[in-house]
Amino acid sequence: MTAVDASRNAAARERSGLGVFTQDALLQIFLIANTFIMLFPILVMVLNGFKTNAEIFSSPFALPNFQNLSNFEAIATGTSFVRYLFNSVLVTGLSIGFILILGTMAAYAIARYAFRGSGLLLLFFIAGLTVPLKLAIIPLFILMRDLGLLDTQFSLICVYTAMGLPSTVFIMTGFIRTLPRDLEDAARMDGASEFKIMRSVILPLARPAMVIAAIQNLVPIWNDFFFPLVFIQTESLKTLPQGLTTFMGEYNTNWGVLFAGLTLAAAPITLVYIVLSRQFINGMTSGAVK
Amino acid sequence: MSVFKTLGIAAGAAAIAASMVPASASDLTFWSWRQEDKSQYEKYITMFEKDHPDTHIKFKAYEADNYATILSTALAGDQGPDLMMVRAYGAFESVAGPGYLMDLDSKIPALDTFPKAAIKAETLRSDGKVYAVPFASQTMLVMYNKAVFKKNGIEPPKTWDDLMADCKKLKQAGIYPFANGTATAWQNETIVFALGSSIMGKGFYDDLQAGKATFEDPRFVEALAKLDAVKKYFPNGFTGIDYPSSQQLFASGMAGMFAGGSFEIANFKQQNPKLDIGVFPAPPEKTGKDALVSVFYDGGYAANAKTEHPKEALEFLKFLASKKFGQAFANGLGNVSPVPGVQFKSPLLSRIADLNTTSIPYVMLVDFRYEKPSGSVVLQQQIQKMMAGKATPKEVGAKLTKDLATYYKPFQNQ
Amino acid sequence: MFGMRITRRGLWIACLIVPPVLVLALFTVYPIVTALGYAFFDWNGAAQGDFVFLQNFRDVLFREPFATWTRNAFLHNIVVFAVLMVVQNGIGFLIAYALWRNLPGARFHRVAVFLPVVLSTIIVGFVWKLFFNPLFGLVNQTLRAIGLDMLAQPWLGQSSTALGALILVNAWHWIGFPSLIYLAGMQRIPGEIMDAARMDRDSELSILRRIVWPLIAPSATIVFILTFIGSFNWFELPYIMAGVDGSPYGSTDVLGLYFYRTAFGNQSAGTQDFGHGSALAVITFLFIAVVAGFWTVHLRKREIEL
Repeated sequence: MTAVDASRNAAARERSGLGVFTQDALLQIFLIANTFIMLFPILVMVLNGFKTNAEIFSSPFALPNFQNLSNFEAIATGTSFVRYLFNSVLVTGLSIGFILILGTMAAYAIARYAFRGSGLLLLFFIAGLTVPLKLAIIPLFILMRDLGLLDTQFSLICVYTAMGLPSTVFIMTGFIRTLPRDLEDAARMDGASEFKIMRSVILPLARPAMVIAAIQNLVPIWNDFFFPLVFIQTESLKTLPQGLTTFMGEYNTNWGVLFAGLTLAAAPITLVYIVLSRQFINGMTSGAVK
Repeated sequence: MSVFKTLGIAAGAAAIAASMVPASASDLTFWSWRQEDKSQYEKYITMFEKDHPDTHIKFKAYEADNYATILSTALAGDQGPDLMMVRAYGAFESVAGPGYLMDLDSKIPALDTFPKAAIKAETLRSDGKVYAVPFASQTMLVMYNKAVFKKNGIEPPKTWDDLMADCKKLKQAGIYPFANGTATAWQNETIVFALGSSIMGKGFYDDLQAGKATFEDPRFVEALAKLDAVKKYFPNGFTGIDYPSSQQLFASGMAGMFAGGSFEIANFKQQNPKLDIGVFPAPPEKTGKDALVSVFYDGGYAANAKTEHPKEALEFLKFLASKKFGQAFANGLGNVSPVPGVQFKSPLLSRIADLNTTSIPYVMLVDFRYEKPSGSVVLQQQIQKMMAGKATPKEVGAKLTKDLATYYKPFQNQ
Repeated sequence: MFGMRITRRGLWIACLIVPPVLVLALFTVYPIVTALGYAFFDWNGAAQGDFVFLQNFRDVLFREPFATWTRNAFLHNIVVFAVLMVVQNGIGFLIAYALWRNLPGARFHRVAVFLPVVLSTIIVGFVWKLFFNPLFGLVNQTLRAIGLDMLAQPWLGQSSTALGALILVNAWHWIGFPSLIYLAGMQRIPGEIMDAARMDRDSELSILRRIVWPLIAPSATIVFILTFIGSFNWFELPYIMAGVDGSPYGSTDVLGLYFYRTAFGNQSAGTQDFGHGSALAVITFLFIAVVAGFWTVHLRKREIEL
């Protein structure tokens, strides 16, 4: 929120006197209650990760002994958690890499070169925004089988790249169009190749939009469960959300370990979010408020 | 394929090609959904390879939930394994029906000595030929905690009234008589047959088979009514208790009994090695009537009709049908093998094998999982509804009959 | 680039657009179009059989008991959508408004409300499933701790509460999203407009209704459409919390679950059928596309009128 907003609200408060204070108090209570509802379940999840089954069942609200790391040890030693985490990082990283490369290429062509059909092409990409790809899982499954990609992480990367392209092309095209052309024209004067112009003039300028596009794709890809569920079978290739279901099945009667596993699975993205919350919120809502 | 290999294409494709195309003349692939049995199967394969030094078999296990999809799409795309585990009954037919499997009729003499019900599980109804070597039977019965029974001075029940009396005692002692919950759909099918088989009786099953009875038959409805009556001895809020939670209640000793399949035993033992488990069949109405369990076959071992090594594949299947393997299977995996003459070391296992001699089939799986809607789907939903108090046993029977009549001829004129 | 002359520029443009177009064509357009085709065939598991034209559609829409199941799932999707519109988007609007007032701690509240949004549905589903356990779950334990034993129930086990519980979990998971989209819309309202309105001593409620709500209409359009698409694509949360059958006895069944169960089979109960599955996918897809399309046009018109 900007300083202008703040001062305006302050001014409003002065003008309408006490009524506003009551309102503010009510709203503050509402916000605190809401934040409590948002955070309490997550807190309980983390705390239960330090408890034994008996402790969870008999004293659910007590603080645990934080020195008791046996649940977390069970996960580190008894499961492929680290492997899942690595796979998720790999698949998400490569997918976002491909999305940014391919998305920027298309967006740059559409935004900068007047060629026949460029408007139609943009429409083609934007139409992709509306397709619920889950419903095409049967043909996708058969396609992956025929390409020999079933049970490989490349199948996921292909689908995620296709899923992420539409919004990325949309965001990037809009952004590149707002960039001034002077720098490119100057570079062209100097005899730089088109490739060089794209790489050393446009790419650095487009970086903020790329961050937004990357974050917008990060959360859905990192959290996706449906496509690995269908495509990936081999234990060592599973991503974190999918591995979590295997693990929940194996330890289904040891709640302490379950909560510890859920806590660990939630930790990476939560920590990144807390550090980069402003960028996350901008990134994830920006496609929507354009 | 050989072109691919000489070109040495991209690593991913090469790996796939390698898994499909044997490098030497006698490398065979063997697919399974039993990830947890991998090390045991590797031992069995070593046993086989000792006598067949030129044949190498590579075991690969997939996740059980997706195995059917993986296998049938691989077979449809000519990328299937040489050897594979297939399920039984309807799920077996979806693989055998399109002609993917090698016909084993009169190729494996040992199969002639297998129990008829086992062979039926792996026989295609349309041509009457057998396509897989059956590997294990599972039994629906009641498991009980011996220590809990002893402490409360109760014996495994002989009649339904005994069961209700036992339950009452346990409940008074502050123990959940049954650990079962109904939140997980398929658990609703297991409890019907684990608890109700003897009330239905053999006569009902024979009449059903002969097309002379439907699920509106009083014997079936009475079995459901008994189940409906025993639910007051299920845990509080049992409609919200899912499969893992009920396993937990039994394994931890908080509950005295678990109505379910014999496949649970290994899992209970693993969760609580000190647990002393006994089993008893569904109690009949009165003494003197048969106490029945209900039995089904898990699946079988099959060979790909298009394998490049039909001779080696058949050799391996012969091994899997041998008493030597049956014995190793029973010892190593703790399952009841259908191979005749196998001795069961564990007393629990041999007790279950005994009980299997007085049994009815696990009806819905054995007879009504070939078409849509499957009997299991309808039964599971309806029992869940009945247990929640939203349907009567009679209504369940009527709904089952009506929905299955859409394709099951004998129900259509009744 | 379509002419005879292949210029360097044409080649360069082709280099830029062909790869992304190919990826989208192969992994989005092709599967969607093929899904339509598959629905016209009979399938034996995953093996394609005869051309049966509309038989699969007739089955899932009119043949019993499939027709009842389809209708049941569809009605649940509508309930999900309606309740989320009120609860998730309504409370979301209130949160946005409260955050917009920039009270002390607003930044913290903003980060907190959005935190569940970044978590995987799998995590959220499993955590709440454990919380809803009738014997050991947090929800009933809390009720018992404050003396409300009467209210402790098997929330996910009874048809009267299961779907509601799932919808509330969904609202908990996603409420940060509409909140912050509305907030972004509010922050774009020019300060002068608000000042002028407050000068007129209008009540805050009427300012909200007459000024704020119309001005954030574009945000509302986005929120409504995404809620609609999300409600009819609902799969992960019921899959984790209620199971693939939509337990108990179909009271949490939705089109996504029904489609998945039909296409990929249910290992412990059913058969696998790509034909009925594809028909369901096509019907769902067409429904979403047509309704979302018309509604977007309508909402956009409203944005201008307001």
